[in-house]
Amino acid sequence: MADHSSHDPLAGIPFDRVPPSGRYGAAGEPGVTVSTTDTPFIALVVARNGFAASVAARLGRAFGVEVADRAGAAISAASTVVGTGPGRFLVLSTIEPDLEGTLRALLGAEAAVSEQSDASVAFNLTGEKVPDLLAKGALIDLDPRVFLPGHAATTVIAHIGVTLWRVHESGWRLLVARSFEASFTRFLVASGAEFGLALENGTAGRG
Amino acid sequence: MRIPCPYCGERDAHEFATLGDATLTRPDPAAADADAQFHDYVYLRDNPAGAHEEWWYHANGCRQWLRVARDTRTHAISGAVAARATEQASGEPA
Ligand SMILES: [Zn+2]
Repeated sequence: MADHSSHDPLAGIPFDRVPPSGRYGAAGEPGVTVSTTDTPFIALVVARNGFAASVAARLGRAFGVEVADRAGAAISAASTVVGTGPGRFLVLSTIEPDLEGTLRALLGAEAAVSEQSDASVAFNLTGEKVPDLLAKGALIDLDPRVFLPGHAATTVIAHIGVTLWRVHESGWRLLVARSFEASFTRFLVASGAEFGLALENGTAGRG
Repeated sequence: MRIPCPYCGERDAHEFATLGDATLTRPDPAAADADAQFHDYVYLRDNPAGAHEEWWYHANGCRQWLRVARDTRTHAISGAVAARATEQASGEPA
């Protein structure tokens, strides 16, 4: 292993491995906490032509939230519906193992449904410094006065495609393609070290 | 350069891929002079200075094709609409 600066929070961690759980960077109360231990069931819903409004309404009724055909996140205790494009919705659930089947039964011929649970890693980011961290890689304005709870965006952060939304005042959620988990975690650690970053991961894929 | 995506809002051009001229119509491949028409369509493109209509694909966003009005001299963008909207209006596949 080449010599690394002692200031490098990623010193000694192989590029192709997800950095291990632990504390990185500045000591004290962490400015950012990153967790991937929640592994929701995920499915993508794509409304067929002319059915976007109907699909949004059906999803809203079924999950007890207000869903519209726009880039927003409708959040309840167990489910989240996120708009990612016209007539396109990502549905996350912590309690529906057969989310795909549930959605097929709900939407019938109005939409195409595909199971995506293992496609993405869900990063939960909490803490006051999350916007400052994300600003280092984002192309869009994530200032907490502009990007409000319930707002969602599909964009790139650190050159990696993400769908992200603000869950509450100090909580953000980001979906990243699973093969980018190591790279994206490295970005979070490197960019969050100055604020102190607590990382909690280590769950294997659902397989 | 920032493109006002009708779904995503204003986004950096780096999120998009460009296809070019949105004012052309793909020739009918069954036409008698299809070879000549396709040569013209594919190779003999205009290079207008000023107002232009272009196809842009929001690859790192909503994954939709947009028809963008851009001034080629200033890069000023005066608007963008979803290609699916113009397709429905004209009946022409994008
Ligand atoms: Zn878009």
